[in-house]
Order: sequence, then structure tokens, then C-alpha cells
Amino acid sequence: MTASAAKVARQHRTRHWLRRGLFVAYGFLGYAFFYLPIVILVIFSFNDSRSVSKWSGFTLRWYEAMLQDHQIMVALWNSVFVAVVSTLIATVLGTLAALALERYRRFPARLFADITLYLPIIIPDIAMAIMLLAFFKLSGIGFQTWKVSIAGLRLAVPYSVIIGHVAFNISFVAVVVRARLAQMDRTLDEAAQDLYATPWRTFWRVTLPLMMPGVLGGALLAFTLSLDDFVITFFTSGAGFNTLPVRVFGMIRKGVTPKINAVSSLMLGFSLLLVTLALLAARGNEDRKIQMF
Amino acid sequence: MSDASVPAVELRDVVKRFDDVVAVDHVSLQIAPGEFFALLGPSGSGKTTTLRMIGGFELPTEGEVLIEGEPQGYKPPYQRPVNTVFQNYALFPHMTVAQNIAFGLEMRGVPKDEIRRRVGEMLNLVRLSGYEKRRPHQLSGGEQQRVALARALINQPKVLLLDEPLGALDLKLRKAMQLELKAIQEQVGITFVYVTHDQEEAITMADRIAVMNHGRVLQVGPPPEVYEQPRTLFVADFIGETNFIPVEVLRVGSTVEVLTAGGARLQAGWAEPSLNAGAPAVAAVRPERMWLHRPNTAPEGGPWNRVEGIVRHVIYHGLDIRYEIHLAGECSLHVRLPVGRGDADVFQRGEHVIVVWPSEATRVFRRDS
Ligand SMILES: Nc1ncnc2c1ncn2[C@@H]1O[C@H](COP(=O)(O)OP(=O)(O)O)[C@@H](O)[C@H]1O
Ligand SMILES: [Mg+2]
Repeated sequence: MTASAAKVARQHRTRHWLRRGLFVAYGFLGYAFFYLPIVILVIFSFNDSRSVSKWSGFTLRWYEAMLQDHQIMVALWNSVFVAVVSTLIATVLGTLAALALERYRRFPARLFADITLYLPIIIPDIAMAIMLLAFFKLSGIGFQTWKVSIAGLRLAVPYSVIIGHVAFNISFVAVVVRARLAQMDRTLDEAAQDLYATPWRTFWRVTLPLMMPGVLGGALLAFTLSLDDFVITFFTSGAGFNTLPVRVFGMIRKGVTPKINAVSSLMLGFSLLLVTLALLAARGNEDRKIQMF
Repeated sequence: MSDASVPAVELRDVVKRFDDVVAVDHVSLQIAPGEFFALLGPSGSGKTTTLRMIGGFELPTEGEVLIEGEPQGYKPPYQRPVNTVFQNYALFPHMTVAQNIAFGLEMRGVPKDEIRRRVGEMLNLVRLSGYEKRRPHQLSGGEQQRVALARALINQPKVLLLDEPLGALDLKLRKAMQLELKAIQEQVGITFVYVTHDQEEAITMADRIAVMNHGRVLQVGPPPEVYEQPRTLFVADFIGETNFIPVEVLRVGSTVEVLTAGGARLQAGWAEPSLNAGAPAVAAVRPERMWLHRPNTAPEGGPWNRVEGIVRHVIYHGLDIRYEIHLAGECSLHVRLPVGRGDADVFQRGEHVIVVWPSEATRVFRRDS
């Protein structure tokens, strides 16, 4: 090997490692930017001190305090209740909407239906919140509540909040289910009908089982969005109703305490779990796709 | 049930339009019970649409579809006594092989024991015993094809519709499956309506072939008839190999005579009825009907056509030798001669030859048909 060839090889190696190093550093920076605040929040939820900037040992007392805080517990169960009910309704309606738009391509005003369905995804939350608020005022639905007892707590959940969550979740469910339907082979439905299945039985035996990963994915997304929602809940709930995010917002105005960190960590854990489940459902999607072709 | 005088499937002047596309254009067909009937045509000729109208997946814009003499009207697929083998098989990916095959019987409320027994029989018939618990994605293309066939046949339909069922298989497997399908059809005795764009497949498998183009049925008949007596230029061109010689019609009637661009007079066995003397036309001859002679050995007189030419290419093909012969007037012919008749009969490139063929093997078509 000549000297110059060795030099070129060395240069290549250096450049290679430089590029790799930069790439890795960039990745780390990106992750740090996104997740460092979260990591700090979680760590300080275990901090044995009122201070949110100085570490003074491990404790679970903020979590205990959270569990004993009646208002937080009510807010937690409100969140769960609203999320469960709105997800169920939005999943059924969103799935039906997706079926209509994807399967019956020829109907009048389809474009219009398309646009209105996607609108809640596109328009800012605040605009949607104000529209909903106006709607509840004008329609006379107001802020009447649905009274239920869960876990020994008396909840009073405004119908308006549930309707509001359903309103934006339908769109998200429909988008996810449509993506699934679009990659499904339509001749499967024809094959079922060829084998004497009525449209009704075709739906239950073939269409629904095959679109199920999409439906589950959509439902999990809706559930997560519902749990996380602040703006629409805040505007459509009237006075005195808190979901967890709304409650946290209330507490934060009186200063950040480690208890808020504990509540936030709890919400984070919840969301993480749901996103993981949604991803697993989507993975199911992929597997089915391979099976189908 | 299968009254031989009532067609298993009948199409009466059926038209199907999609917006401004005429997919099927005034098609009338009668398919006999137990017949293996092929719909043959190039891509886009309306074969699938015709099949889908029999199955009930599309409704005719005009005309009528009858199954065993019964008008189908607006009947949906699940009320028609036919089953389909789809082009991509359309097996249910979330069900096992056994569940796929059992689906039709289950929908018709057949008792569980009987379903189990008949699924077993079907798996036997298509040689897939032991595959019950597999999923479609765990099967090869040929195996999926056989599951699709079993899933349809188990219902004992009056008519089985097959849309290019072997199209996705490689050549060797396709040949094997052609024989197997034909054997199964003969065994079960069900009427098959078989869509294909592969003329060889149609010829080897079908009892009768309908050749389609641009939504129209151009000719219906048994394979030898369609092959030897094509009635339009399209059919002559689409099925098998054919030599076309541009000619001018000299005489039509009981004997047909035409003139080539090179000045040779040819006699023909048949001419399209609409042709008149003086019209530009095309004479068609199958390559295997032609013989080559050296100028001094060519037969004189008799019911033969002769043209002079020069050997352009000699291609050895194992069973036969193919010659490309250049004629006067910018036209060339392909001639296939069997191998093994002695070296004297092998012609050399550049050699002057006479191409000879029986005049009855000549068919004259309009240029525009
Ligand atoms: N659903 C449809 N909508 C519009 N055009 C169609 C539809 N189905 C078929 N066609 C048209 O009808 C013609 C015949 O199609 P097809 O029956 O699929 O032909 P083949 O099976 O012989 O290839 C084609 O021009 C095709 O584009
Ligand atoms: Mg087709």
C-alpha cells in the first residue's frame, strides 16, 4: 500500500467516524430536547422536598398525598369516565363513518362528508371548543350532568363534555379505521357473499374481524386523546367540573408542587401504556396485511 | 335436475356500461350443463365483467342472465346457485383452511358433522389433507388455488365461475394445474365458466371457447373449430400463430381467388361474407400448414397455393425448424417443418424456395375487422 493510499483510507475512516459520531450526538440531543423535561418531572415526583429544583432523597409521599386528595381522585375518575364513554360512542360512530366513506364511494356530497369529517382534526382546539360551547348554549343542552358513583365517589359529568369528546374523537377513529379499510381486499367481501353470506353476516364474519386492528387502534387513540384533552373539556364543562388535566391546570395556578409532578407522572404512565397498546394493535395490522397477499 | 335441453347459463343480449365505457356489448351465450366453457380474450375485453354478471356482482345494464332457465334479475350473489374462484383467490386470511372451505356450508346452515365430513372429502379431492389448521398465508400459490377451488366446489354449485384461476402461478405449476382442474371438472361434472387470456390454456382445457374483444363475443365454438376456422381477423390473430398476406380480392362466391402484392394468385377455402371483388383483404394461413420446396420439385396444379420467396432465417426448435421466408412485396411468412426428414430437406439461408399450402387452409378476412 502506498503512502497516499493509506492517507486516503485514513481520511475515509475519520470522516466515517465523524459522521457517525455526529449522527449519534444529534439523536441524543433530539431525545434530550423532547424527553429531559419529562424525565426531570418524573424524578422530582419522588423528591422528598417541596422544592422542585433541589434533590433531597426518595419518597412516595407525593403519590400518597395525591391518592388522599379528594379533588384529584374525583378528577381522575371523571377523566376515566369521560374517556371510556366517549371512546365507546366515537368508536362505533367513527367506524360506521369510515365504512360509509370507504365502501360506498359513490354517493352525493361525498366530498362534503369527507371534509366535515376531517374538520375537527384540522381546526384549532380552541375554535372547536368555542363552537361547541355556543352549540350547547343555543341548543339548550347546557351543562346538565350525568350522575354516577364510581369507586365510592359521586361524579357529576356534564353531557356536554362527553358530546364534545365524541365530536372530535369520531374523526380520529374514522381516519384510523379508513386507513385499515383502504388496505383491505374488497374481493373478500364478495367472496363471502358468493358463499351465501348476506351483507349482514359478511360484515360480522369477514369485514369486522379484518378491520378490527384498525378499530382497536382508533379506540385507543380516542381514549388517549380524551384523557389528555384540556381545551375542549375546559370550555364545555361549565363550572366545578374537573378532569385530571383541568385539575392540574387549577393547581398549577397556585404554584408548582411535587404533587402536580406525581399527577403528571401518573397521566404520563397512562398515556405511555395506551400508546404502546395502540402500536401493538397497529403491528397486528401489519401482520394481517402480509397474510392477505 | 340438469335437464340437458336447458342451458346451465344463458346470456340474452347482455350489455354492461360503466359510465361511458361499454364493458360488455350485446353478448348472447348458451352454456350447456356439464360443459367446460372458456371466455377467452385480451385484457380489457370484458371477460371479468361477463363473469361477474353471472355471479351477481354486477347487474346488466341491458339484457338478461339466466341460470338453469331461471332469470336472475336483481338477485344478489348470495342467492345465486353459482360459486366463484376469484383471480387472487380471496381466501379469508383470518380463518384456517378448514374454516375457509366450510364457510359456504356454514352460511347455509348445514349441520356441523356433515360440514366436517364434506370438508374432509374436499381436502381429499384437492389433495390437501392434513392442511386443515393452516392459514392461507402459510400456503404456496398452488395450494391457495386449490383451497379456493375446494371452498367453491364444496357447495355443489350448478355453475362454477373461475376468473383466471391459474394466472398467478408459474408456468410449470400452471400446466400441472390445468390438467388437475380439467380432471376435477370431469369428476364432479359441474359446469365451468373459465375466464382466461391465455389461448393455449383455453384450447387445451375447454369444451367450447367464446373469443371476446372490445366487449363483444366474436366467435363461439369447440377449440379445433375456433383454431381452424376463425371467422374474423382478430380471432385468427389471437389464437395460435398465423401468417397474414395482404391481398386484393379477385373473385368471391363458390371459389375465392385473391391477388398478392407480389402478383401471385391464391385460391382460398373461405372468405368473410361481406367481402366483394376488388376489396383490400388479408389472406391467413397457419405456419404448420405450409411446406417448402426447391423450385424444381414443387408440385404443379392441384388444390395448392404457391408463392416464391427467399429464406431469411432458419431457427432450429428441437421438434421443428422454423423458417422465415421473404416474399416479393415486403411480406414475410413463417413456416414450420418437422425435423428429421433428412438433410436434403433442410433449407439454407438465402436459398430460393417455393412455399406451398393447400388452398382450403387459406382464409380471407377484411383488413379492418
Ligand atoms: N367497475 C368498473 N368501473 C369502470 N370500468 C370498468 C369497471 N370494471 C371494468 N371496467 C372496464 O370494462 C372493460 C372490461 O373490463 P374487464 O371485464 O375487467 O376485462 P377483462 O376481464 O377481459 O380484462 C375495461 O375497459 C375496464 O376498464
Ligand atoms: Mg379480468
